[in-house]
Amino acid sequence: MTGLEPAELGAYAVDEAGRIDDRPGLHEEIGLAMAGSLNVRRSVLQLLDRLCPEFADWAVVALTNPRTGGVQLYGGVDVTSVVKVSRRALAGQALERVLATGRSELLHVSSDDLGDGLTGLIPHQALRDQAAALRPADVLGTGLTARGTVVGALITVRGQGRGFGAADTELAEQIAARASLALDSARLYEQRSQIANALQNSLLPPELPTVPGLDLGARYRPALEQLDIGGDFYDLFQRDGEWLVALGDVAGKGVEAAVLTGRARQSLRTAAHFVTDPGALLAALNAVFTDDISHRFVTMICLRVRPQPDGGLLVDVAVAGHAPPLVARAGGDVEEVACDGAVLGVVPVAEYPVTTVRLAPGDQIVLFTDGIEEARGESGFYGQERLLELLGRYAGAGADVTCAAIEQDVLEHLDGRAHDDIAVLALGCTG
Amino acid sequence: MIADLTPTLTRFEHAVAEIDVTSALAVVDEALASGADPIALLTEVIGAAQRAVGDRWQRGEWSVAEEHAATAVATAATETITREVRRGPVTRGRVVVACAEREWHALPAMIIDCALRSDGWDTTLLGASTPALRLNQYLQDLGPDALAVSCSMLGSIPTARRFVEASTAAGIPILVGGPAFGSDDLRARTLGATGWAADATGAITAMRELPAVVQPAQPLADGPVEEQAALELNHGELVATLTSRWPRPDRAGSPELDPALAKDAVELILHALWAALLTADPRAITETAWWIRALLEHRDAPVALVATLHQEVAGAIRDYPLAATLLDDSWPSAERL
Ligand code: B12
Repeated sequence: MTGLEPAELGAYAVDEAGRIDDRPGLHEEIGLAMAGSLNVRRSVLQLLDRLCPEFADWAVVALTNPRTGGVQLYGGVDVTSVVKVSRRALAGQALERVLATGRSELLHVSSDDLGDGLTGLIPHQALRDQAAALRPADVLGTGLTARGTVVGALITVRGQGRGFGAADTELAEQIAARASLALDSARLYEQRSQIANALQNSLLPPELPTVPGLDLGARYRPALEQLDIGGDFYDLFQRDGEWLVALGDVAGKGVEAAVLTGRARQSLRTAAHFVTDPGALLAALNAVFTDDISHRFVTMICLRVRPQPDGGLLVDVAVAGHAPPLVARAGGDVEEVACDGAVLGVVPVAEYPVTTVRLAPGDQIVLFTDGIEEARGESGFYGQERLLELLGRYAGAGADVTCAAIEQDVLEHLDGRAHDDIAVLALGCTG
Repeated sequence: MIADLTPTLTRFEHAVAEIDVTSALAVVDEALASGADPIALLTEVIGAAQRAVGDRWQRGEWSVAEEHAATAVATAATETITREVRRGPVTRGRVVVACAEREWHALPAMIIDCALRSDGWDTTLLGASTPALRLNQYLQDLGPDALAVSCSMLGSIPTARRFVEASTAAGIPILVGGPAFGSDDLRARTLGATGWAADATGAITAMRELPAVVQPAQPLADGPVEEQAALELNHGELVATLTSRWPRPDRAGSPELDPALAKDAVELILHALWAALLTADPRAITETAWWIRALLEHRDAPVALVATLHQEVAGAIRDYPLAATLLDDSWPSAERL
């Protein structure tokens, strides 16, 4: 039936009728394969891929939707296919019983009532047609029970001459026991990751806008590499024809710090409805963070960018406990902006002096967090020297390229070592 | 419609040479408006112009910063094409596109992303040097139909292998490509990738043919894996030793090759050994030898330095027998150089 010579059967057992019996250890293999994925769809694919033709000629995985009571049917001839079936379509059918009790049901299909025999376990016309085309003998429904709940069912079909025996039903149940745990874990993971991703998306660094006269670039590498967020942040937005730009660092790493970056950005945007002077903005944020119960310190640079009629930019800079920005001139000179102020959230009242720099076409101002200078490689910290030297070499190359070059240079310096959150933002004047 | 893209390429190359994004985008917009095939624009215009950029760097006409800035022009052009292509409907499954860790050539992956999106795939581009942890997170969160990985540099072959393991462990097929994989599928196959293609058009065909589910990649042979890991662990030290010995200052005491370039060459030959060990493809070493020769020639350095580099490397890796044999067997003979 399979065309395989007995010698090729290897691990397969052959019964007295000469049929290939189930492969020993198939359930273990399936359990292992499914453990490799935490994604429901991919876990289902792992299962389906190994069921046919090893165990059955055709298979579908039904997963219940606890909210609607309906089921999603995965697989069939095309393992990647997914169809939805409502709760009503299951009413009174064998599949409904399997899903309610978790107990297996085996239906024999006679050659004269093909359709009817399949209806009980395959509640979808197109899928039924596929199964019918195989001249099926048996349809087996096995409950997928995990952690005390039936999460779905495994529906398998075998053709004439190799119906399911008692040993097969037992193997199906062993497979189902492993598969259901894996699927349930994947489902729990998926629910969590949906929540996490929704929250994460609200905290992602903003996409950079296209602004005439400005050349913008940024890079962000969180300390926790599997996340897209961390304790560093940047933001930029427009108020009355001027641009406000901020970049900062909330003490700590990971999710807790990231949540506070969201608050810092929100506070800044709110405060900017009342004042746009960077010094006044930082003073307002300092008051907010001193009151805050979270007791986290925040360092920040705030810029106000004022386009000039001659194509140049005036940039007002205020700094709160953060490394001052660097200005890289078109000709290759690089200087630090002289500016200083207290970390936000420490003293109740603080003043933040403003320094104004002028950018001519080709010049850029570069803001970065301490994850750059403090990146520790084999030869020590990355440090400001390397950054100054790189900016000199990349004079005139454009904001995005400058940020990409800094990111690459710092990560190559780290050479795979752990690092703090890294953020860099460059703002150039295009004239 | 078969349009001759030669005039477009000429104008585009000119814009890249001038690092003039506005003109470059105008050329691309015009071509798109007149119905040019996006894939042809990607490969025959942007890709072709990028090769010229590489040649300029190799000849010493452009610094790395200039090479980088010119690439920003090509990147902007690719983004324009991608924006256009994204207007089309998604008709196929989901694909994650990434550069292996330590791979900073982001544009090729961007081009592959655009090509696959134009064929109806719902693509997610993860960008330059993707950490393995981040890749895994995306594989689990998105549960894609396939992963596409781009490698330009031989040094990213070991992380590409890690991506193969991550992807296939979850049953997800992985398509690889880029100059580091060479001109046929040998390296890709040995690494355990599901598919390989030479260019953007090939990527489209290969992606359609990938199976839905794959088995976990077979382990690589122990000996080469262990040697490669040891070479990687001692990489910093080996680079320091080799750059202190090669090239030696000439009689006047001045270096025969810019030290930054010498370091690039040394790194590249060590990376070629990694790649040859893991992929059982010694051509990685031969190709690198020829590349170093071309670099020396372009930079007016003595070509004889290729032979001295061979000797120095052979001396430095004496304790790595498999790598040493690969090096000796595949380094071009002095007469051919
Ligand atoms: C731009 C560039 C850079 C930029 C990249 C910026 C960016 N955002 O991408 C920067 C400045 C960062 C850079 C850095 C370096 N580069 Co560089 N770079 C290039 C350059 C000029 C263009 C690359 C490019 O965009 N090509 C265009 C694409 C479209 O072509 P492609 O890569 O062949 O891709 C096609 C196929 O390969 C395939 N493909 C690619 N990916 C995939 C993936 C899949 C799944 C599939 C199916 C197919 C596929 O389809 C693509 C389209 O048809 C090349 C020159 C060249 N000839 O390519 C050098 C080049 C690759 N770089 C080189 C070198 C030496 C370096 C550096 C070591 C030193 C330097 N010059 O700065 C560093 C190393 C950085 C690192 N570790 O990654 C050498 C490599 C030599 C070698 N033997 O390996 C080259 C060849 C230059 C040269 N002529 O010598 N580089």
